[in-house]
Amino acid sequence: MSDSGAEVVVEHVHKRFGQVTALQDVSLRVASGEVVGIAGRSGSGKSTLLALIGGLEAPDSGDVLIDGEPIWRRRHTAHVRREIVGFVFQRHLLLESLSALANVEVPLLGAGVRRAERRRRALSLLREVGLEHRADHLPSQLSGGERQRVAVARAITNEPRLLLADEPTGALDSGTSERVLDLLFGLRDRLGMTMIVVSYDTAVGARADRTVTLIDGQIVEEGAPAPPGPGGRSGIEGQSGIEGQPGPQGRSELRGRA
Amino acid sequence: MLTMILSNLRRRPTRTFFTAAGIAVGVATIVALLSFTQGLRKTAAGIAHLGGSELSVFQANVSDPTASVLPQSILTALRSKPYVASATPLLLMVEAIKPEPGAVVFGADPNGFFTRRLVLVSGENRQAAGATGNAGATGGAGASGTAGAATNGILVGEKLAAHMRLSPGSPLVVHGRTFRVEGVYHSGIFYEDAGAVLPLPVAQALAGRPGEQTSIAIDLAPTVRASTATKAIERELPGTQVISTTDQALRAGANSTLISKAILVIVVIALIIGAIGVTNTMALAIIERQSELGLLSTVGWSPLRVASLILGEGVAVSVLGAAFGLLLGVLGADLLVKALGVSSYISPSFTAWALGRGLLVGVAIGVLGGIYPAWRVTRMQPLKALAGT
Ligand SMILES: Nc1ncnc2c1ncn2[C@@H]1O[C@H](COP(=O)(O)OP(=O)(O)O)[C@@H](O)[C@H]1O
Ligand SMILES: [Mg+2]
Repeated sequence: MSDSGAEVVVEHVHKRFGQVTALQDVSLRVASGEVVGIAGRSGSGKSTLLALIGGLEAPDSGDVLIDGEPIWRRRHTAHVRREIVGFVFQRHLLLESLSALANVEVPLLGAGVRRAERRRRALSLLREVGLEHRADHLPSQLSGGERQRVAVARAITNEPRLLLADEPTGALDSGTSERVLDLLFGLRDRLGMTMIVVSYDTAVGARADRTVTLIDGQIVEEGAPAPPGPGGRSGIEGQSGIEGQPGPQGRSELRGRA
Repeated sequence: MLTMILSNLRRRPTRTFFTAAGIAVGVATIVALLSFTQGLRKTAAGIAHLGGSELSVFQANVSDPTASVLPQSILTALRSKPYVASATPLLLMVEAIKPEPGAVVFGADPNGFFTRRLVLVSGENRQAAGATGNAGATGGAGASGTAGAATNGILVGEKLAAHMRLSPGSPLVVHGRTFRVEGVYHSGIFYEDAGAVLPLPVAQALAGRPGEQTSIAIDLAPTVRASTATKAIERELPGTQVISTTDQALRAGANSTLISKAILVIVVIALIIGAIGVTNTMALAIIERQSELGLLSTVGWSPLRVASLILGEGVAVSVLGAAFGLLLGVLGADLLVKALGVSSYISPSFTAWALGRGLLVGVAIGVLGGIYPAWRVTRMQPLKALAGT
C-alpha cells in the first residue's frame, strides 16, 4: 500500500518574511509512505516549511518536488492541494455556518464534484471518522475533538497521497489528542499516504518513522544536539503531551524523543 | 456554491441587510428618477398637442414655452394657410396660482377648439361660445369672446381640482383676482389637467398682455402631414418654431432638458455610491474571513473560484437590494413627487425598460463593487491568513 504515498523532496529552500528569515537552506527528503515528525520551538519555521511543501507559500529560492514534479511550475498550486495534498491545522477552521457534512463537502465543491456525489462521499468520510451521527450539526454544536475529526475528514476528501498536519492536537486535551492521533495514524496505515506531522506531542515522535528538528529555520536531523538558543532557555525537555500547547517559557523546545 | 453564498450572507444578517438597504435606496432613487424623466417626456409631449391639436406654434428661441410671445398677425397669417384647418390662440401663464406655482393657466379663445374640446366631469362650461351650460356641445361660431372678459368664472383641470380640493362653486385666486370654479374638466393632456382655463381676453387682461398670445394650437387639414406643415410654417413665418414631437417639446423646454441631465448625474452618483458600499462591505468581509478564505485555498479551491465566491456574494446582496429598490422606487416615486411639490410638472411613468434598467444597475453595482475585493482575495497569502491563531 505504501506505493500510494507521495514522495517529497525539498531542495535548498530559503524563505524570508521581510527581515525575518523563516527558513534557511532547508533540504528534506521524505519517502513514499513515510511518516515524518517535525519538531522545533515556536517560530523555528515548522509551519512555513509545511506551507511550502503544500504550495501555500512560494520559496524565495530552492524547490519543492512532489513525485519528482516541481510544484511551482504552474501559476498557482491549487491543483496540488486538490489532487495530492490534505491539510490539518491546529485550528479546525470549519466554516461556522455550515453543518459538519457541508464542511466535509467544501473541498469537493472546489473540485467541481456534483451535489449527490459530494453528499455520498462526505457521509462516508464522516463515517470513517466516527461522526456520521453528527452530520447535521454545526461546528458550534460539536466538541473540540469532534471538530478536529471533522477537519480530518475534510482533509482526506481528495484521497490525498500526502497528509500535512500542523500541530493537529495542539488545541486539544491529552485524552482527545490521543483519539485524533489514533485516527490520523489509523488512516495512514489503511490508506498508505505519506504524512508529515508538526507536533510538540511526544506521542507523535514515538509513532513517526523519524523526526527532524528545526532550529531557527535550519534542519537538525534527529539526535543531533541542539545548539544553545538565545537567553539560555534552550534544551529544556517538555514532559509529555499533557497539554498540546507549550507554555510561554521552558517548554518551547521539544525534541521528538519518547 | 449558491448555498455557500447564501449561507455566508445569512451569517451576517445585519450587515447583509444594511448593504442591501444601501443598494435598495440607490436603485429606488434611480427608478424613481428615471420614472420622472419618462414622466417628464410625456408631460413635455403634451405641450405639442394642447387642446388635442396636431402641433403648436411658439416664438422661436425662447428659453421656455411660457416666455413665448406671438402677435395677432401671425394668427391671421396661419388661418389663411391652406394646410391649416383651424388655429386657436393660447396664452400660457405659470405661477399664477400661488399654492400650485407649476400649474399652467390657459387663456383660450372661447370660440376655439381648445375650449370646446374640454370634457366636463362636473359643473358646466360657460366659456365655450354660446354657453348653453351643455359641456362642449356648442360648436356655433358665437360672438367674439370679449363678453367673457366680464365673467368671473374659471374652469379647472381634474388634477388641479383634486390637489386643491376644488369643485364647482369654489373660489380660486389667479394673479390676485378671485374667480369662481364653474366646471372641472378632463382632457388627457397633463398640463391641461393640472391647470385651469380662462377666456383669452380675461387672461390677457390679468397678465397685462392685451392682444398677445404665447402660442397657437393648430389642427391641420386632412392628409397634411405634421412634418410637412412644420417645415412650411417655420419657412413662411420667420421667428416662429413649431412643436409637434416629444423631442421638439423637450428641446423647447430648456428646464426639462436640464432636469433630465441633472437626473442622469444623480443616477451615476447613486451607482458609484452603491458600488462603494458593496466594495466596503466585501473588503471588510474578506479581512474578517481571512482564515476562512485561506482554508478554501488549502483545500484546493483555485483563486478564481474563491474570487467568484466573493463576487457572487456581492452580486447576491446587490440583486437583493435592487429587488427591494424597484419596489421602493415605484412606491416612493409618487411620494417623492408629492414631497417635492412638483406634482404639477411631473407625473412618474414606469416602463418595463426603466425597471429593467434599475435591476441592471443593481447587478452592475454588485459586480463593480465586488471586483476589487475579489481581486484582493486572489492576492491573499493563505499561510498568513491561517496563522492568526
Ligand atoms: N506570513 C508571514 N509574515 C511575516 N512573518 C512570518 C509569516 N509567517 C511566518 N513568519 C515568521 O517566520 C518565522 C517562522 O514562523 P513559523 O513557520 O510559523 O514557525 P513555527 O510554525 O515553527 O512556530 C517566525 O519568525 C514568524 O514570525
Ligand atoms: Mg506553527
